[in-house]
Amino acid sequence: MAGGYRQQPGASSGETRKDGKRVAGKQKFPPPGSGGSRPNMAPRDLDSIPESVGGKEPQPAGSHIHDRYRTGTEVGKPRALIDSHAKVTGQAWYGDDVRLPNEIIGKILRSPHHYAKIKSIDTSKVEALPGVLAVATGADAPNTFGVLPVTKDEHAMAVEKVRHVGDLVACVAAVDEATAMEALNLFEIEWEVLDPIFDPRKGLEDQDEPIHWRGKYHVGTTNVQKRVFQEFGDRSLVEDPTASSHGKWRMEGVHHGFTEPHAVVGHWDPNGRLQLYTPQQVPHYAHRALSTVLEVPMHQINVIRTFVGGGFGGKSDPFPHEMCAAILSRKAGRPVRINFTREEVYWINRGRHPSYIEVKMTADDEARISGFDIDALIDGGGFASFGHVTSYYNGVLATAPYELGSFHYTGARVWTNKPASGAMRGHGAVNTRCAVEVGLDEMAEQMQVDPIDLRLANLLPPHSRTISGFRITSNGMREALERVREGSEWDSKFRQMPLGKGIGIGCGFFISGSGLPIHWDPNRFPHATVHMQIDMDGGVTVHTGAADIGQGSTTAVAQVVSEVLALPIEMIHVRSHESDTSPVDLGSYSSRVTFMNANAAIRAALDIREKLLNAAWEMLGYHPDVLVLNDRRIYYKHDPAVGVSYLEALHKAQEDKGSLISSGAYRSPPMGGVHKGAAAGLAPAYSFSAYVAEVDVDVETGLVSCTNVWAAHDCGKALNPLAVKGQIIGSCHMGLGQVLSEKMVYGRTGHLQNPNLLEYKIPSIHEMPHVTPIIVESSDPEGPFGAKEAGEGPLLPILPAVVNAVYDAIGVRIRDLPLTPDVVWKAISAKTKALGVIEETELPSPRLEHSALQATLVARSAEHKERDRRRQRSEDTGAYVNGVLFGFDPNQPLEDQVEGWRSAVEPVPEQLAELGLAGKAWLKKEQRQMEGDQ
Amino acid sequence: MMLMPPFNLHHPETVEEACELASTFLANEESFDWVAGGTDLLPNYKWHINVKKHVISLANIQGIDAISMHEIGAMARLGALTTSDSVHPLIASAASKVASSLIRNNATLGGNICLDTRCFWFNQSEDWRRSIDWCHKEDCGTGSDCRVIPNQNTLCVATYQGDLAPSLMVLEGTIHIIGPNGQREVPVDDFFQLDGITRNVLEQGEFIVKVTFPEGVENRVGSYKKLRVRESWDFPEAGVASSWIVGDSSSLRIASTALESIPRSHQSEVDSFEETFSSDLINPLSEVIMKSIKPVNNTALPPRYRKSMIRVLVKRSLREIIGDKV
Repeated sequence: MAGGYRQQPGASSGETRKDGKRVAGKQKFPPPGSGGSRPNMAPRDLDSIPESVGGKEPQPAGSHIHDRYRTGTEVGKPRALIDSHAKVTGQAWYGDDVRLPNEIIGKILRSPHHYAKIKSIDTSKVEALPGVLAVATGADAPNTFGVLPVTKDEHAMAVEKVRHVGDLVACVAAVDEATAMEALNLFEIEWEVLDPIFDPRKGLEDQDEPIHWRGKYHVGTTNVQKRVFQEFGDRSLVEDPTASSHGKWRMEGVHHGFTEPHAVVGHWDPNGRLQLYTPQQVPHYAHRALSTVLEVPMHQINVIRTFVGGGFGGKSDPFPHEMCAAILSRKAGRPVRINFTREEVYWINRGRHPSYIEVKMTADDEARISGFDIDALIDGGGFASFGHVTSYYNGVLATAPYELGSFHYTGARVWTNKPASGAMRGHGAVNTRCAVEVGLDEMAEQMQVDPIDLRLANLLPPHSRTISGFRITSNGMREALERVREGSEWDSKFRQMPLGKGIGIGCGFFISGSGLPIHWDPNRFPHATVHMQIDMDGGVTVHTGAADIGQGSTTAVAQVVSEVLALPIEMIHVRSHESDTSPVDLGSYSSRVTFMNANAAIRAALDIREKLLNAAWEMLGYHPDVLVLNDRRIYYKHDPAVGVSYLEALHKAQEDKGSLISSGAYRSPPMGGVHKGAAAGLAPAYSFSAYVAEVDVDVETGLVSCTNVWAAHDCGKALNPLAVKGQIIGSCHMGLGQVLSEKMVYGRTGHLQNPNLLEYKIPSIHEMPHVTPIIVESSDPEGPFGAKEAGEGPLLPILPAVVNAVYDAIGVRIRDLPLTPDVVWKAISAKTKALGVIEETELPSPRLEHSALQATLVARSAEHKERDRRRQRSEDTGAYVNGVLFGFDPNQPLEDQVEGWRSAVEPVPEQLAELGLAGKAWLKKEQRQMEGDQ
Repeated sequence: MMLMPPFNLHHPETVEEACELASTFLANEESFDWVAGGTDLLPNYKWHINVKKHVISLANIQGIDAISMHEIGAMARLGALTTSDSVHPLIASAASKVASSLIRNNATLGGNICLDTRCFWFNQSEDWRRSIDWCHKEDCGTGSDCRVIPNQNTLCVATYQGDLAPSLMVLEGTIHIIGPNGQREVPVDDFFQLDGITRNVLEQGEFIVKVTFPEGVENRVGSYKKLRVRESWDFPEAGVASSWIVGDSSSLRIASTALESIPRSHQSEVDSFEETFSSDLINPLSEVIMKSIKPVNNTALPPRYRKSMIRVLVKRSLREIIGDKV
């Protein structure tokens, strides 16, 4: 088929030069289907068409429902992001690049106090300053908002009280920045300073003045914002363990460290509609919040998402400064711009929660994991943000990829007088995952077995159910582990390297889209909708609300449309910036975009495809079932010379109708259990990953440098392998920051000591290891062409891999993150003293001598490998639920088989005494339960 | 994005012109700062720290950027020092460890010597400092206490984090100063003065023109060891330089930086040993030097750790100049 088929007979163009090139500007309109300058149709790329439909692309994980729509055009090919040209030439318009005529500058007055009541604000001097055009305070916008409907606890500016240093008090708009800054000094405020709290452990105690008040749902008079209790399985299994690990962790808060500080422009247009320009990950929730706060219906607001200079979860809340820009603009009658300094970025925060995590885990005599007992106390800072969800994720996202005998989780999120924590890449799963994976390493050492084999022999198979009821579909965990083991030459390095050199393993498990949307009204509303339009020129305009935050969602949507319609990607134009033109999309969080948006885009494209094929049927007389789409041509399967060009078919389809229009939507299927909190962590698919990290530890200084990482991630199907590799390497960088050097430091006075990029230590290129990305493709049955997420999951395993590698290097387990040199050195010194060695350089390195259990594990994992293969390829479609490894029948309710099998979301009274740190939140009653007591 | 506060920038073209400008401002009681590369001063200005009405730039003054074994001009760029074949290798090595290559292209020797002392209670924005009610180093007229060691209110304990000073000390450099009252020379060892506010011996209106080194400096073997979290950007959390003329124990010099308000020559600690300098002396020397310094909690890493690390840095630096494998 090389060379392809001519699409049009005869010479098709106008004048040609002597060298054969055509003369610009003197060409006839290109004939239909010529596709520009290429006269011949490209041959079908059989290497990119799956085996199941006659191509050569291998499918070890079996066929996929979307295989029929593969045309070999784009899917699976490394593709530079389609917005990269705009970015590398400096033409992408980020928040600060928007310039509207008559724009004025807004500045925010921030609280100098940790916690204080505002008794009065006098703005008269501010208003009198020449050049000041608008002033606003909390009184201008009393309505509350918040990203989660259940915890709307934020105001545009403080109403009644401020909750942390840097909290918004008032704002002012002036003709220039200098005037606005001068104006900030003219506010006269009377404060009543309150006693702040900074230690989340104190947040569990009753206070005179809790930071927020939740009415009848308030837990005592504490600062507990959310508490969670979950218990599943047979707790008796944890008795008499063969190995156990008990670790108490302290993890510092970290920030996303995105490049672009927040920047917003608000503008009320001549028709009285608000045009708000903002780099948002989740424009739709900002849209809803703006409507609430401004008391303007949503259709009178147009949210324009600018290019986003990195988000990582840090731009997914509706933000008070967005409200401020709108309020000031409404007052001043001119567009108002508010740009943040880096310090303001840290004050609005929403980074990863500082956490106290305690993990107890046990293994039985067959090295099965008989129990996880997790307690997570997380420091929410001043506001709820995503915290309700984070409180669940810290526990429930640890229920896979391993099969567990029992699972017990207590979690609490407390308010403190610090900048609010929120969602950050790997939301809620990162810290606990690290604790759990390090615990597994410790148990492996106690049992003297290889930690990779311990994992391989305890994995849940594909198409199974976790202990808490999550539906696992595709699962590439085993392959990921096997490939990093091979790539890193693990078997010749682990526990065999000299002091100071170490290697470690860590795994990850993450959601690919959240099963329930945050806002579920109106009922049964889709999670993602994509509109598509093709006019007579043949170009495809795709309207989506998906927010490209650099992860490449725009490219992914263009790629799947290109693939289905067999059009070059240059013909696909994605419009995603304005809420006026984009269908509602829930935004870029929970790693949902590729999965949900690309699925919606495929559906929209299939609708168009059907219309084109029907037109071709009419023209050719062949039924669509025997027609093939390839490179701007539709032809008869058995005689490619018989066909029509894409434009001919398109124009036929457009007769009497005009442009072709379609709409596709995605909503995840109903799934999961019915217990309280069952929806948290539910996802239509899950990603899996395994990393091996190699480190050098300077035993005299405690400096850790990570030198090599082998990073395997199961993303289902890499729609764009280049983007997936970029996500893996970027995740490594981000996770390394958290494990080695990044922390938000709150000093003894509770002030954030390092709100700048010099002292908040994001690793530089010198600290980056060599990363070998390994893509595992398990072909998810519901993912678009089999794809799952690759944006967040790859961050998880790097933390435990490094911590475990440090143990391999120096024989010390450290449970304080980050592993800054002082922390490591302190641990080394303690060990040196304990062992009575004089020099650090004489410390012994840990070694491994396999016990008898090792053979058991190897045999079991070989058996499970075959089991997994059969389930993955649907040769075995029997039910599999967590518990089968312990001998239970998956077809009977576990409660009926085991006495003591629990599924509980509240502690029973006799448990209260033995709960962990966060569990102590359950010692208090909610206000509504106390009413009777008084 | 941060707005630079307004100031008047002056560009004298000769040393004399610069001194004249300074005298005029002094006579009129108008405040001013010198600026060389600006990589230290201007970020502080953006944070509204000690902003002056006038800034006199030394950038247009000819002939104060010489680079040779025995003389380095104040305006010599650190980037040029790192690539120069003619400066002492210890200077080139220490300069190469300052901040990042972009900053080194602008930063100067004079600026690095005169680096303002640093403290995480001080190097913050105006809003931030207001939230702690200011501090002793920049009290904004409130008479505020030191935030690192409260209730003393006499000394500023901000930390000097220049990278080059200890190397200049162990190469026995001399700083040449000029000002309205004429020229003077000060050994680098004596240039720095307590505390974090006083910083050094420069009088108002004076600035550094060059640093010179004695004959024979080329025979010295030196080493600078810097402790930092990241291999780029970061200021030293501790730094040790040492040098000697191989075989001559009396020539051994050791100096440290980033531990206290001023960099320190450790001559008295070195002199407390009468033995010949050999590998055996490295451990006891490092112990004594460690005991002599008292870092405080105002940089990224805790003071106890930084103190302990001095021992390691001294050991490594000495092992290097003595030719031991590190």
